[in-house]
Amino acid sequence: MSKPRVAIFDFACCEGCQLQIVNIEEEIIDLVGAVDVVEWREAMSEQSHEYDIAIIEGSITRPEDEHRVQIIRTRAKILIALGACATIGGVNKMKNNFDLNEVKRCVYGQDAGMPHLATTTTRAVHEVVDVDYKIHGCPIEGEEFKRIIRDLLLGKTPFVPNYPVCVECKERENVCRYEYNEICLGPIIRAGCGAPCPTAQWRCFGCRGLVDNPNVDAAQEVMEQYNLTLDDLKQKMVLFNSK
Amino acid sequence: MSVSTVSKDQFKQFVEALIRSDQRVVGVQQRNDRFVFDDLATADALRLDYDVTILSPRKYILPQKEPLLQFAAGESYTPVHEGAPMVLLGVHPYDMASINQMDQLFSQDEYDSHYMNRRQHITVIACDVVTPSENVFAASMGTATVEKGYDMLLTDIGDAYVVQAATDKGKALTNLMPQARPASEADLDKCRAVQEQNQQKLNQHVLECKPSYLPKLLEKNYEHPVWEEKARLCYSCGSCNQVCPTCYCFDVQDEVNWDLKSGTRYRAWDGCLLEDFATVAGDHNFRKNRSDRFRHRLYRKGKYVPGKIDGQIACVGCGRCITACTSNIANPVDVYNQLMKRTDIG
Repeated sequence: MSKPRVAIFDFACCEGCQLQIVNIEEEIIDLVGAVDVVEWREAMSEQSHEYDIAIIEGSITRPEDEHRVQIIRTRAKILIALGACATIGGVNKMKNNFDLNEVKRCVYGQDAGMPHLATTTTRAVHEVVDVDYKIHGCPIEGEEFKRIIRDLLLGKTPFVPNYPVCVECKERENVCRYEYNEICLGPIIRAGCGAPCPTAQWRCFGCRGLVDNPNVDAAQEVMEQYNLTLDDLKQKMVLFNSK
Repeated sequence: MSVSTVSKDQFKQFVEALIRSDQRVVGVQQRNDRFVFDDLATADALRLDYDVTILSPRKYILPQKEPLLQFAAGESYTPVHEGAPMVLLGVHPYDMASINQMDQLFSQDEYDSHYMNRRQHITVIACDVVTPSENVFAASMGTATVEKGYDMLLTDIGDAYVVQAATDKGKALTNLMPQARPASEADLDKCRAVQEQNQQKLNQHVLECKPSYLPKLLEKNYEHPVWEEKARLCYSCGSCNQVCPTCYCFDVQDEVNWDLKSGTRYRAWDGCLLEDFATVAGDHNFRKNRSDRFRHRLYRKGKYVPGKIDGQIACVGCGRCITACTSNIANPVDVYNQLMKRTDIG
């Protein structure tokens, strides 16, 4: 049986998640032993229109991006969204909180009207085309990436946690940030990262997006228990989880 | 049982000798403003005056993630048994009670060789509580003191420890305490006084019934407004499960190597509050509602597990879930007392 062909594409992003793939270092050899990488702009010069698995990094922010990702979808048997920009829109969605013309003026000044700077509302990949699997995080976790790829090669549905970050945070014996009356997004955000941010005594920033069924109704009452408000919580959501 | 007394200075020398021995020594230490069980580097780091640890010693008895077997798909598999000698130093009575329950659960029915093999290599040095934690209610659960399970029990009587070596492993450890002297009647009186005080003192939340009533109380209250009232604020984050010394549910996952053939089967902690805990084949989830999962935890502790271990209640009153719950809904005493108010338990 021939090896599955994999192509990696980037859209609006910092390319840090691709860098995380490069960062698996010697296991890159194992990866290219298990699959044929046919296109990956960050790591090689070859290109191809024929692939089985497309890995999409970045969010969709321009009319031509939408067209390009639709073509990729028609060519790929399996499409994977890679990293927060692709899975939830991530920091790129902060743009959606403002008037689009205002955003363009702010960023590009007098060139804002130039045709090649056309920009639209930011969307996650699944808001444009069907996505088969998501590899979450900003950036992604190398270990999780490797495990998911191996599971897919075996034809097995990869395990992606649908429980909050609190599970992994407690495993690491952190004290809940709320005990210090600080906001943390952990109780509503998908785990899988191993809670590095609360372990470093920050809050969870929410880069892996919401769990499937977050208890949004509880938020107001719980915030009040800690002399916090719903607005405090919403402000912290803006960074990775704007609409 | 041999009972002796060692001064605190002599005890420190004992701990240093233990650390120098060829077994792993894990003890209670301060981390920031809390306490944790961790590998002990020096006797000075040991804090037997701690109130409660963030996680219970369960993390050593039943690790968060452990390999069960190595496999080569379609060919063979080899079981993995971990069993390096380890001393757990500073286990409080309520945690000892939880270990005793797990020992019973993992050895009856399907004998769990992974658990039991590891357990047999662990020496437990328990200690009576010096400082009650803010949420402890062990006195309500009958676990403020403990009579069995430990290899050695330490009781702080001021300037010395009363040391009870209960097993051969415990007695062997007393060889590292050459200066220990037989406990005097006065020492034993002080020791009993500490334990009697703890049976009153470790009770920040008072259960308004005997623990032995709980199975009956729950049996009558499967449908009760308290489940929904509490679960309304539940994030399904499983913090109560993670910190619980008696939660022992696990998930099993296979991880395959790059040859896509060989790999390892692991088990890792799971929690009944998590949304997908009860999801089975075909994506059917038989506890889909938060309130069903919230109720299930308290039924496990107060009715289902007791049914497997001669009526012992699977809540030892450590109070960790009360501290860990962001929404402040996890307090078992609060729930059980609310049920008591509206129930004639006959």
